[in-house]
Amino acid sequence: MQLTVVGVGYVGLVTATCFAESGNDVTCIDIDAGKIDGLRRGVLPIYEPGLEELVERNLREGRLQFTTDMGHALAQGKLVFIAVGTPQDYNGAANLNALWGVAQSIRELAGESKIVIVKSTVPVGTNRELAMRLNDGAHIQHHAVSNPEFLKEGHAIEDFMKPDRVVVGVHDAALGQVLHDLYAPFLRSDHPFLVMTPESAEMTKYVANAMLATKISFINEMANLCEAVGADIGDVRRGIGHDSRIGFQFLFPGAGYGGSCFPKDVRAMVHTAEGVGYTLRILPAVDEINENQKKVLFFKVTELLGTDLYGKTIALWGLAFKPGTDDIREAPSLILIRSLLGAGAHVRVHDPAAIPNVKAVFGDRITYCDRVYHTLQGCDALVIATEWAEFRNPDFDTMRQVLRQPFIVDGRNLYNPSEMSRLGFVYSSIGRQTVMPAAVHSQERRAA
Amino acid sequence: MKIAIIGTGYVGLVTATCLAESGNSVVGIDKDASKIALLESGKLPIYEPGLAELVERNRRDERLKFSTDLGACAGVQLIFIAVGTPESASGASDLSSIWAVVDALAAVVAPPQIVVIKSTVPVGTNRIAGERLSQRLGRPIDVASNPEFLKEGAAVDDFTKPDRVVVGVRRPEVGEVLRELYAPFLRTEHPFLVMTPESAEMTKYAANAMLAAKISFINEMANLSERLGADINDVRRGIGHDERIGFQFLFPGAGYGGSCFPKDVRALLAMGRSVDLPLRMMEAVDSVNEAQKRVLFSKIRKHYGTGLSGKTIAVWGLAFKPRTDDVREAPALMLLDALLKEGVGLRVHDPEAMGHVKAIYGDRLIYCERPYQALEGADGLAIVTEWQEFRRPDFGMMRQLLRHPVIFDGRNLYEPKTMDAAGFTYYGIGRHGR
Ligand SMILES: NC(=O)c1ccc[n+]([C@@H]2O[C@H](COP(=O)([O-])OP(=O)(O)OC[C@H]3O[C@@H](n4cnc5c(N)ncnc54)[C@H](O)[C@@H]3O)[C@@H](O)[C@H]2O)c1
Ligand SMILES: NC(=O)c1ccc[n+]([C@@H]2O[C@H](COP(=O)([O-])OP(=O)(O)OC[C@H]3O[C@@H](n4cnc5c(N)ncnc54)[C@H](O)[C@@H]3O)[C@@H](O)[C@H]2O)c1
Repeated sequence: MQLTVVGVGYVGLVTATCFAESGNDVTCIDIDAGKIDGLRRGVLPIYEPGLEELVERNLREGRLQFTTDMGHALAQGKLVFIAVGTPQDYNGAANLNALWGVAQSIRELAGESKIVIVKSTVPVGTNRELAMRLNDGAHIQHHAVSNPEFLKEGHAIEDFMKPDRVVVGVHDAALGQVLHDLYAPFLRSDHPFLVMTPESAEMTKYVANAMLATKISFINEMANLCEAVGADIGDVRRGIGHDSRIGFQFLFPGAGYGGSCFPKDVRAMVHTAEGVGYTLRILPAVDEINENQKKVLFFKVTELLGTDLYGKTIALWGLAFKPGTDDIREAPSLILIRSLLGAGAHVRVHDPAAIPNVKAVFGDRITYCDRVYHTLQGCDALVIATEWAEFRNPDFDTMRQVLRQPFIVDGRNLYNPSEMSRLGFVYSSIGRQTVMPAAVHSQERRAA
Repeated sequence: MKIAIIGTGYVGLVTATCLAESGNSVVGIDKDASKIALLESGKLPIYEPGLAELVERNRRDERLKFSTDLGACAGVQLIFIAVGTPESASGASDLSSIWAVVDALAAVVAPPQIVVIKSTVPVGTNRIAGERLSQRLGRPIDVASNPEFLKEGAAVDDFTKPDRVVVGVRRPEVGEVLRELYAPFLRTEHPFLVMTPESAEMTKYAANAMLAAKISFINEMANLSERLGADINDVRRGIGHDERIGFQFLFPGAGYGGSCFPKDVRALLAMGRSVDLPLRMMEAVDSVNEAQKRVLFSKIRKHYGTGLSGKTIAVWGLAFKPRTDDVREAPALMLLDALLKEGVGLRVHDPEAMGHVKAIYGDRLIYCERPYQALEGADGLAIVTEWQEFRRPDFGMMRQLLRHPVIFDGRNLYEPKTMDAAGFTYYGIGRHGR
């Protein structure tokens, strides 16, 4: 099939590349000429494992094209995927300006009837309005279809090619069939293709993210209570997870969720509900808990080092909002860096992928380190904000030697507290009691 | 092993019986003499599938005895406390039964006997119980935490095939004694988890809190779907295949009830208050649920408008969930109260819970032995509990018996399209913009 994909961000580029990989001819259009320029030369604007290779191959084999010319892009195929950003507006609502801009272009430039498929996350009712904007009083009639995307950054290719499920919102079963054919190469018997109304499809995307965000804020709330009453969230997790109605997944206490989806989607839902006179209670709580949780790292640093951080140096491992991505939108690390700088501390940071993006925000106000242990040099404490695999089994002896003080604030509970105590660290984590270096160790050190 | 269980309610009786079934000698002790008398006459004070048979067999084989006398603890190795810990006026757990038992035990127990608290108790209770008992005895005695996760309606199964057993101990030896006791019930994938009493106590609350949170979450999403013209059932299909989400425990409905979720959520809130930690999520879960219990009534009032008074409504399902006779905090009670207040006549049916409901409402309701009988001459049907027998009824018969074919389904048992075709006005939760 011939497809047009509008917007080559995370979602658009992955969608376009995977559909090209399954044999379709895909033309991508973006208003960002720099991005398109790079892509034509095989340079990716984002980091996503495995994507570069796929883009290169499909570019070479001519199934993938990039352009900034909307008219040209629309001349290529019957199916038009819209994957432009729908960021949070000042009032929490989803900003649909980019989407409406694209709708206007299609209306003006498309020479034939199109199937316009909205991949962006949009509030319930957007497809209905899109159909009106495309068609009211127009000569050519287009179809609007909802097809929310569930990929996760860092696993985007896997998720797209082996989706848990594909959700499609249509009023006309024939349109559902067109999409079914397109997705067929990616479907397995236990990975269903679900057809519903556009309203339910739009809602599905928000509810999925809302549930995931709710699980995170839930476990963070429980973790904070554990700390306060002397229980251990790690044990509590073990205790509840074997109940299959609860499970272990997505119940990791931490420094709060970030990224370009959960925060904005939760807020967009709150806003949508207000619009129909319904007051949500769970989701505002989810958002509020998360905003507070993002401050936990800084708070824990002051617990260990005192509130006067002026002139102190803090190492930070992990900047991306989660491992496997360079995305730092709404990342807890940013909140921490701002607070530390505000308190007059120096900050040395390391991240396997996100340093360029962080540099764009903080410039030379912080020190960027390419190597993990180098980050720790002369630091009064280390904070871990993202659970990259390479932080899981570090060389603790080296760490203790390089750090000026053996203080660790672990926002992702990567290590075992009693083990850390034995190794001679002051170790503070989430929902567990802070441990001090074991007596044996300090004796050994004194002897040495 | 020789074991005493204090408190023979749902948890105590099931614990006693299942431990007897695995070969232990068990005495169940309760201060409620009528309960003990009933049990001694071979009857059960509660309904629980499969339990009666087990009680009878173990009584016959003399592995299970009952008593009102705490003195029966003499000579046993383990003493389980399974008394009630209901909600107090402040929302915190009322621990008076626990303390009454702990204080009375001081006169009858001695180390190396081990006291095990099975009741759901706030974090710190085991520590205080241990200190209090040791102080009165003048020497230390082990007090362990062993929260119970059984579900009413599936209690015997849950106890004998637990997802996991959680124990909170200060000494590993105590954990070993309990591991031996539970060994017959453990499978490799069903672990025995040893932790501190504080973490064990917290585990019980966190488990119920997560389940309650899932229910309130999906109810909130259902209410929003309804207003936005989406269908929560499709949304459920759409999210459930994500294994981080799943399908379990995400059923929209008329709110959770029962003797555990409401009180445990409020006990958590009280715990949070005691350490100055407002628990925003739990507050929201509780308030969403309180509102959800009124949803069926709102739909009914909206449908009949000012003509509601004098109407007759049939109600199917009174227990807080199927397969139990428990009506504590059941959404059905809230609905009954609200409808009675509006002057509505009520014809009710429940396979197990009518006895308990009769004890509360007396002759203010008409109790119907069979589901269809409840529909006779009614102006509408409200379904509050998803008993299996309500899932595939004879719609033709229902339409004939009802004076007006209107159904308010608090459990989304039917497909709106089918009901439309069958000639019903059908209200579900989170569906069809109704
Ligand atoms: N990132 C994720 O993990 C993820 C997952 C699922 C769904 N989504 C949703 O997908 C949508 C896109 O997200 P993203 O992360 O890919 O965003 P992004 O910001 O990475 O990409 C959006 C792209 O659209 C382009 N664009 C904006 N206006 C345009 C216009 N008028 N014409 C052509 N191009 C235009 C931008 O230049 C940019 O390249 C959002 O609605 C998001 O909520 C994102
Ligand atoms: N019911 C459940 O599904 C369930 C599941 C898990 C945990 N729990 C917890 O287990 C505990 C018991 O719950 P339940 O539902 O079995 O309660 P219940 O009310 O059914 O039974 C409590 C029993 O304790 C007896 N009792 C009270 N004070 C006593 C005393 N001083 N001496 C002797 N007996 C006394 C009562 O007479 C009653 O028979 C609670 O803490 C509850 O939260 C209940």
